[in-house]
Amino acid sequence: MSDLDRAIAQLRACRPIPEAEVRELCHKARELLIEEGNVVTVNAPVTICGDIHGQFHDLMELFRVGGDVPDTNYLFMGDFVDRGFYSLESFLLLLCLKVRYPDRMTLIRGNHESRQITTVYGFYDECLRKYGSANVWRYCCDVFDYLALGAIVLGASNTLPGTPAGEDVEIEVCNPDQQIMSRFLRRGRGRGAEGSPSGNGNGNGVTNGVSSTSPTPANTGPPGSGASGSSGGSVGNPAGAVLCVHGGLSPLIDNVDKIRLLDRKQEVPHEGAMCDLLWSDPDEIDGWGLSPRGAGFLFGADIVKVFNHRNDLSLIARAHQLVMEGFKEMFDNSIVTVWSAPNYCYRCGNVAALLELSEDDAGLGVLARSNGDVNRSTGGVVAGPRGVLMENDLEDQVLPGPARRYRVFTAAPQDSRGMPAKKPVADYFL
Amino acid sequence: MMTTAGGRHQFTVPVKKINTGADMQHFLVSKAYRDIVTFLHQLNRSVCPRYCADAAPAGGGGTTTKVRMFETDLSNSSAHPEGVERLRKLLLAVDLLSSEYPAEAYADRRFGNRAFRSFLGGLRDKAGWLLEEHLGLKSGKGKEELVVYLLGAWGSAERLDYGTGHELSFLAFLGGLWKLGFFYTGNGKEEEAERGLVLVIVELYLETVRKLILKYTLEPAGSHGVWGLDDHSFLPYIFGSAQLTRPIKDGEAMPLEGSAPGSPKPSEILNANSMKMWRGKNMYFSAIGFINDVKKGPFWEHSPTLYDISGIAFGWGKINKGMVKMYDAEVLGKFPVVQHFPFGSLFEWEAVPGARMPAQSVHVASQPTTTSASLPGLCTGAGRGEQTSWPLRQRLSGPAGGAGAATLAQARSVPISSATGAIQEPSGLGGQNPESQPRSREPPSGRRVSIPDLPFLEGKPSPPGAQYSVTRAPWAKDNDDNDG
Repeated sequence: MSDLDRAIAQLRACRPIPEAEVRELCHKARELLIEEGNVVTVNAPVTICGDIHGQFHDLMELFRVGGDVPDTNYLFMGDFVDRGFYSLESFLLLLCLKVRYPDRMTLIRGNHESRQITTVYGFYDECLRKYGSANVWRYCCDVFDYLALGAIVLGASNTLPGTPAGEDVEIEVCNPDQQIMSRFLRRGRGRGAEGSPSGNGNGNGVTNGVSSTSPTPANTGPPGSGASGSSGGSVGNPAGAVLCVHGGLSPLIDNVDKIRLLDRKQEVPHEGAMCDLLWSDPDEIDGWGLSPRGAGFLFGADIVKVFNHRNDLSLIARAHQLVMEGFKEMFDNSIVTVWSAPNYCYRCGNVAALLELSEDDAGLGVLARSNGDVNRSTGGVVAGPRGVLMENDLEDQVLPGPARRYRVFTAAPQDSRGMPAKKPVADYFL
Repeated sequence: MMTTAGGRHQFTVPVKKINTGADMQHFLVSKAYRDIVTFLHQLNRSVCPRYCADAAPAGGGGTTTKVRMFETDLSNSSAHPEGVERLRKLLLAVDLLSSEYPAEAYADRRFGNRAFRSFLGGLRDKAGWLLEEHLGLKSGKGKEELVVYLLGAWGSAERLDYGTGHELSFLAFLGGLWKLGFFYTGNGKEEEAERGLVLVIVELYLETVRKLILKYTLEPAGSHGVWGLDDHSFLPYIFGSAQLTRPIKDGEAMPLEGSAPGSPKPSEILNANSMKMWRGKNMYFSAIGFINDVKKGPFWEHSPTLYDISGIAFGWGKINKGMVKMYDAEVLGKFPVVQHFPFGSLFEWEAVPGARMPAQSVHVASQPTTTSASLPGLCTGAGRGEQTSWPLRQRLSGPAGGAGAATLAQARSVPISSATGAIQEPSGLGGQNPESQPRSREPPSGRRVSIPDLPFLEGKPSPPGAQYSVTRAPWAKDNDDNDG
């Protein structure tokens, strides 16, 4: 058993590895990451995950639900650390797996992978507590600087394997026991988007606590699924590429190649393109807006649609925002938020999700069948605040999204975690 | 700012003054900082158990000594001092107002509930009236000044969060009322009023806030994640530990360690039965009870700091002393927390004349250091809750850099020790050998926060300014409150 395998085994048992090993691991990881571009290319099949935030036992649950490494090809969209109790164990395990299986594990940077943020939100405190010094925090922060800023997923299939013949399933939602909770068929093209049923996934769905005013018909998608038929439909093109990034878009970035030109090997700046990619959020606005976070921007459906069109993308996958249902598609399924930290901060009561994109083994993609409005509600039409011109311009050019399988899971059981000895208290109490 | 010409006090609407990290240094020598710290110490000391005056420990035969402990009281009791009772009614009115704004149902909302904004809007419309109705505060007589602190006490409408900065605003609201003589009784029973402020008013405030947090799913405004003391609150840990500290005699300083007889052990916060027994009487247990209510998972995992503190061997006095120190460093010393605090005539931005510039403190050692020039300092304070926001919400125009961090770190915690003398031993001395320091460093109990020559509330006696002398920082010159 190599040192690395031993470290992996130890971390899987939720035990931190010695400082010297962290140092060596971080050194190796840097050598590996420095060779990656700012935007990593990943081939489907791939399983895309959102924020982890030090919830180690839930990360183990994620691997149980999504399959173990290296059997499953993973892409984590950042925010491994902060807030939770086990940021250290979580990040180091992911980093070990990255070094051990570099082609089966992609890590991109979240806004919490930053010196400044980790000193505010807990990871710094955690390292100090667990090692008695900030050395490990420094090693980890040096790795953060080398993490890629985004990833492009190529070759994702239009269809899901294992779905019934004759049904063109666009979205499938599964529970942790591999049981299908719901399926949503790809709808036909044309003006379908306007006729989409309501429900929270009508493309003008809900984000940032902003509510859709329409009621949710019982037979439309579950919250967050976006499964209300407003995807652009499909006429046989292979699914377009999927851009993965932690936060979202930047007004300074109009095409993916511009991301590639950034000098990423630095602390996350307070502003600028690199900052925006890690900090921005989609919102129900037109164009760009100021972010209440104080960094990054808000961006509307029009921005996403133009960007996707220009870059031959069918979907942007991002993380960065707690969504109670674990995932949430917005803007006519052009962008999805994936959140992988169940019962966030021990109290939010949310479920988590991961997103599986399967491999397009037909090479050209499968001709999708037009299923009209099968299995769709027709009520509650909501024509939301889309950019009207944009809609008309782009409607026939929106790439069909890849078929998506979301696996939803809840927090890991906690019974087995023994109570540790109390540690020495902070200076204040001495 | 303040003028005493003709006995007229000039109120001003408080405004934000802390705009950059560099302003922290000024804040920590300001009159506002001094008064907040002094007021906090007064409240803290007021709830410490007492030996009854006629039964002070007599030499070796102290077996008959009676100890009076003070419990939280949310009851509708006519025994509350008048000022406390009026304030209680005001808080109940705020609570009632929130019932007019039910949480909105969103099929797919994120965390914070937008109905909270409507509630805060409603409160803004009504707050002036509430102050007049319940407290008799009139326009031009402090209403416009105090309403700002009252409104700042419930959370952020923009971010839908609540944290220690809002809690601080409530403390300032109470401190402002105190300065206006609202709790002046003229019969030497001010300490009863102080006690009521903590056990009735602060606890009722915290209960109200907890309801708001649950109802509107407010995010923690200040969060070191699990490594912070508490997602939202700090004061209940100070006052709650004081409630259980070793008893003192009148005029005696806060003990540095020891527990009151009959008090639960600190480790009993983990015991469900003790929790049940104490949560209704003690603010520390009450606060932890709320954590247990809202969090799912092992306590040691979601609240490791409180868990470790529960292992402290030297009693609640030790915990109390640590909590006050920690409050100074982690709340008052943190730019992200206090940057929104507004300054007016009651809490003045003006520096205490002759104040020494802050010197290096022991806590500097725990500050993160970095080799990255792009890492601004002043970032170790509270953040913005589930939805992470930039610690320095206003992007600093210049590089904050290491200099900023050093400034804050240096500025921290020393003024409080100088201002009050009670809590900050010279590095290493008190920490290593607290038993050797039994003597009082507490300001003598007659000293009160006040503003001389203020016009007082209608129908209230004017407090004799001479009796109300502000606890002065050692560096302050005499009568500095009277210089324009």
